[in-house]
Amino acid sequence: MTTSWKAIILIVMGLFLFSRILSGTLLFYINERFLWLTVLAALGLILVGISYRYRTEHDHDHDGHHHDHDGHSHGQLSWMGLLLIASPMVLGLAIPPKPLGAAAMTNRDISLESLTSAAAPEGGAVLSKPKTEKNILDWIIDFRQTSDPAALAGEEVKLVGFVYRDDRFAEDSFMVSRFVVSCCAADAAPLGLVVHWPDSPTLADDQWVEVTGVLEPGEFGGEQLPLVKAASVTSTDVPDQPYLYPF
Amino acid sequence: MKYIESHSSSTEITPRPAVGFFRSKAALRLLLAIVILAALVIIRDNELVGSLGSRAQTFVTIFLSIFIEAVPFLLAGSIVSGLLEVYVNSETIYRFVPRHPLAAALVGGGMGLIFPVCECGVVPVTRRLYLKGLPISMGIAFMLAAPVINPVVLASTYAAFGWGPIFYSRIILSFLIASVIGFVFHFAKPEDVLRSDQLAAIDHHQCHPHEHTHDHPHESGLNRFWNALSIGGDDFFDMGRYLIIGSMLAAAMQTLVPQPVLLALGAGSATSILAMMTLAFVLSVCSTVDSFLALAFVNSFPPAAILAFLVFGPMVDIKSSLMFLGVFKRRVVLYLILLPFMATLMITVYLNLNMSW
Repeated sequence: MTTSWKAIILIVMGLFLFSRILSGTLLFYINERFLWLTVLAALGLILVGISYRYRTEHDHDHDGHHHDHDGHSHGQLSWMGLLLIASPMVLGLAIPPKPLGAAAMTNRDISLESLTSAAAPEGGAVLSKPKTEKNILDWIIDFRQTSDPAALAGEEVKLVGFVYRDDRFAEDSFMVSRFVVSCCAADAAPLGLVVHWPDSPTLADDQWVEVTGVLEPGEFGGEQLPLVKAASVTSTDVPDQPYLYPF
Repeated sequence: MKYIESHSSSTEITPRPAVGFFRSKAALRLLLAIVILAALVIIRDNELVGSLGSRAQTFVTIFLSIFIEAVPFLLAGSIVSGLLEVYVNSETIYRFVPRHPLAAALVGGGMGLIFPVCECGVVPVTRRLYLKGLPISMGIAFMLAAPVINPVVLASTYAAFGWGPIFYSRIILSFLIASVIGFVFHFAKPEDVLRSDQLAAIDHHQCHPHEHTHDHPHESGLNRFWNALSIGGDDFFDMGRYLIIGSMLAAAMQTLVPQPVLLALGAGSATSILAMMTLAFVLSVCSTVDSFLALAFVNSFPPAAILAFLVFGPMVDIKSSLMFLGVFKRRVVLYLILLPFMATLMITVYLNLNMSW
């Protein structure tokens, strides 16, 4: 009875992982470079689930005496244990998958220090990217290498991110933000550029937007950093890769 | 063996004792703690009812991300454990255990090079090795060191930091701290260290060693393989529940505790180290990738604090300490958190004050 439940849960867990991989929502949780590990895990879970079908070594009471104390390794799983193991799938299916957004920012530091430290030091490859393809992380790495907000003035930018605001932002400004993820969403660090746009109040928090404009030297929270003077801000879908990867 | 039989027959008459963690009061208390944490999140934000949903969303995303990141490693560790059960017998293990306790602890510290498992996979493997008669000290040294002293993590640390003080101090410190703590446990009696059901299972193993390793000699290789896999599956369930509770706690902490509070401590020579160690404990990321994460902090924290993050995090974090509960007594789990904590803290504070990097 318990063994078949275990087998079912393992196989369902494997299928759950496959469904997340196929729908692309797995990238809401982990860095793309660890995708293959999840594929292996999903296959492994299904294989282990199947193995219960062919198991020949059963309980240890066949030799006459009953070893009750061996409950944990081959024994029955309590209903609560089963429920607990199933909880990632239950939660994952009950609450629709969504990448981290503005709500997760409130618990993280939004200052120049955190913005620039989230970027890994090497940025050599980034500089060769065409300017219109540079993302928020690339621009911040550029800025960090010069550390002079004026140096990047006049650069044209095209950025995709979600809208973040708190009480430090003026009426006409918001932050176009992304999370940088090294490993999984647990280590997500926020990153963003302050955008000046007269129609900012029309934007909803957490809404994904595409911002085009030019960089100009500015100040935020008492620190010198480049700001984006937006020419246009249009709403857009959540990108396939909602997070940026530092390496 | 006689004792065990009489013991087990007596438990058959009396109601089943609440040996399992999930049948104990501790489980209820833990559940209560999670509920309270969740309630706090709600109360904290109740002026913004709209953000309540997105808070829950953030919690679920972080919880699933830790879980999904850890599953491959836990599964690998469980399967290794199953293979050990079927293909390796106690005599083989016994032959490899050095007689001198200090040597045993040191070998335990380096054993990760043979069993490349990280912090999620190491717990089921250690548990299985205990069943096969590994000394307590060697197992603890292995369990604490292996998440760092293994080829994959060495490679990722090298990739992130290159050949430098951080790279080799991480290896040396992890190895030394783990071996010394393992050696300390040489002086403890197994019945004071291991959970009672784990002890009973060891006794059981010793009563019927042949039942497991040469159970059905006529069985085909494929059958033994399926057995190994399904034993691995049992381990996955045993350890998975601790992993899940640990991931939930870590996700709750992350949705509750503001990181700026922690990172503001970045300046002081001791507080910066405490901050990074707390961060390592709370974030609970896998040791295979934590070097890349540590890179993000090199500008705001001194090298010794980064080192503390890289040494303490793999040994102990929320999810691994929850998993320890599946093998060790609760008091021992407390020691297994506090001893590495104190050792890492003292050494890195000393380095911070006396070294120029």
